[in-house]
Parts: sequence; C-alpha cells; structure tokens
Amino acid sequence: MPASLRFDGLHRRFGRLAVLRGISGGAAAGEALLVTGRNGSGKSTLLRCLAGLLAADAGSVDYRENGPPLGAAERRRRVGLVAPDLAFYGELTVAENLVFFARLRGLGRERGEALLARLGLPGDRLAGALSSGMRQRLRWAWALLHRPALLLLDEPFQNLDAPGLAATGRLLAEHLAPEDGGGEPGLAVIATPSPLEIAGVAARLDLGG
Amino acid sequence: MWRRASTWAAEAAAVFAKEWRCEFRTRYALNTLALFALTTLVTISVSLGPLGISLAHGTGVLPVLLWLILLFAAAAGLPRAFVHEEETQSATALRLAARPSTVFAGKLAYGATLTAALEALITPLYLAVMSSAVARPGLLIAALAAGGYGLAAGSTLVAAIIAQARGKATLFAVLSFPVLLPLVLMAVALSREAFAGGGAAGTTAEMTLMQLFLYDASVTVAGLMLFPVVWNP
Repeated sequence: MPASLRFDGLHRRFGRLAVLRGISGGAAAGEALLVTGRNGSGKSTLLRCLAGLLAADAGSVDYRENGPPLGAAERRRRVGLVAPDLAFYGELTVAENLVFFARLRGLGRERGEALLARLGLPGDRLAGALSSGMRQRLRWAWALLHRPALLLLDEPFQNLDAPGLAATGRLLAEHLAPEDGGGEPGLAVIATPSPLEIAGVAARLDLGG
Repeated sequence: MWRRASTWAAEAAAVFAKEWRCEFRTRYALNTLALFALTTLVTISVSLGPLGISLAHGTGVLPVLLWLILLFAAAAGLPRAFVHEEETQSATALRLAARPSTVFAGKLAYGATLTAALEALITPLYLAVMSSAVARPGLLIAALAAGGYGLAAGSTLVAAIIAQARGKATLFAVLSFPVLLPLVLMAVALSREAFAGGGAAGTTAEMTLMQLFLYDASVTVAGLMLFPVVWNP
C-alpha cells in the first residue's frame, strides 16, 4: 500500500491566538496538496504539526507508509522538510553537514554527493558562508537525503534563481512521479503565500488569513 | 536486537563526532574551559601557594579548591551543549533526523571527554604548583573519572532543560545547584581521602566511590528518560 496522508480538524493556539481552526486535508501517493494563505495564516504551523514538530491542540494526523498510521516520533524521522527557519551547522561544510545527517540515518555518502551535484551546491563551502539561495538548495538536499515518501515544503522556492528553480522543480517532479525503477511515488504538502503552478497538485487548501 | 543497538550506537557516535568537529572549528568550549581553569589555578596558586597552606590543612583544603576549579570551568563551557543549536536553529534538523536518546548520549559523551581533557590538563598542573603529594593516586583518578563524568552528565541534563528557555544562564545556575551539589560534595570527600591516604579498603572511600558511580548512573538514566520530553513537543 503506498503512502498516504490525511489530517482532520487540526486546531492549534499560541496563547490567545488561534492559528489553526479545524483544518482538514490530505494527499495520496503521487499527489501534492497546495496550501496557500497570507502571512500569519498558519501555513508553517500546519506543516510543523504534520512533521510532528508541533503538537496540535485537537484533531488528528493519519500518515502511513505501507502499514499502520505513524506516530509523531516516527513521522519526525520519516518526513523531508524544507522550511525557511531550517538551519544547519555553520562551522561544517555543506558536504560535512550532509554526511553527518546521512550517518544519523544509517546512509552512505553517495546520496548526498548526488544531490549536491544535481543542486549545484559547493560541497567544500562552510554552510555558514552560503548565500540565501544556496542555503535554500541545501535545505532541499537535506530534505531529500533519506528519500522520504512525504515532503513538507514551506515556501520551497524562495530565494532560488532560475537554475535553482529548475533543479528543485525536477526533483519535486521525480519525487511525485519517479521514473521506472525509481521506487514508489511520494507525496508532498506545499505551502506558499500565493498560488503556484506546480505539476502534480491534486488539491488546494486556502487558509485565507 | 543487536542490529538496533548497533544502529543506536552509530547514531550517538555520529552526534559525538559532529560535536568534536564543530568544537575543533570554533574552539569555543575548549578555550573557555582552559582559560577559566588556568586563571583560577593561577589565582589560587599565587594567593595560597605551597607555603600558604600548612601540610595539616593542605589535605583538607586542596581537594576543595581543585573541585572548585573543575566545577566552575565546566559550568562555563558545558551549558553550550544545546544552547548553540537552539540559537543557530540547527536543532530542528537534528530533531527530525535523530532519536532523542542518541542526541543525549552523543552530547553526554562529548561533555564527558571534554571534562576528562580539562581534568588531564588541570590536575597535574594543580598538584605541581601547590607542591602537593597524593597518597592514593589511584583513588584520585577514580574520583576524577567518576566526578568528571557526573559533572558532564548533570550539566548536559540541565543544559537540555534550559535550551529552549529564556534567561538560560540564570536558569543553568539555579537548576544545576541541586543537581551538582551532591556530586561535588562526594567528589571532594573522595579526593580528600586520596590526598590524605586515610582509610583502608572497604571503608569510607570505597563507599563514597560507590555512591559516585550510583549518582552517575542515576543522572544518566534520568537524562535518557527526561530528554525526549524536553527535546520534542
């Protein structure tokens, strides 16, 4: 059974501010859910709840990969996240960062090297010395390192130049519809402030704001 | 079972190696610990010196001063264990990639080796400048090993608790006081036995050493159990 995501009635408050009020949605394998909304509408909060980084006050998240629903702790380690506040070790080079996270996941360094080449990232540069566009490319490499079935993309194309947009667009397309022998199709939740034309978007969710 | 344990150990080892790699690049903790310890050591040696303390008082006072140097030097460097990651926002990536227990174990191993390095640097210097002889060197090494590990374990646990809070420095001082005080008292008592050479096998020194090991084990287990709660939402 391929991966699937369904979330129902998600509520999340920060003090008196209700950010998520009964949000529901989902995506199946090979599909992307596009979440739009103004700044402060709760897009990032929703993605953090789906990633298991933030506990929802109410509601449920049902994410499964060939089996029963995964709990928050399992979800955290399985998903791939691209988010503006995601940072890496500035004292380490780009390649050393990826090797470290690959070791944590029990992987070799080949996948990281392949992603560096595809994203045009300089492996020997310190992560702390990257431009904002290069930092965004590194977030993509990090998110795809362990070939997650679920990609959570929070403003994934910000600061990217034309080659960066093309490279990440190709990686997203391959994630949703792998070529022959490339494994099962994945799914994605993409949050952006304004609607984007992205192949594979099967559903849209407007959080307004 | 074995495969799970080896995967767990490999994850913890990756965190440990990353901590040291980052430390060698910035030398933040190494410099802080070494400079703080050396400054305190010089102050004590100039103020008291070998002639400032009579032999009768020496075995009582010298272990206290040694542990004060180690405690405050460790307190200056070890709280950075998790604070740095929260401040640079790299904690999210680590949360999403590693199990909490392996993060704690890796950070604890880093803190313990850092403390051991500090002890290896400071203790011989301290004994030399204070012209002090140690009656039972083996017991002093055991006290330094068990006490140093406890210092790292207690500091790592408190550092994890305070990492996401405001007023980290104050919180660290307040929370580490009850956690580290019993450890330092035991380590001082044991070191005093080592300096003075009193007590036969199976008496006070061995009992205190056993208590130190129990403290170390308790704080380690408490850390492994508490850390997932404070690390994750």
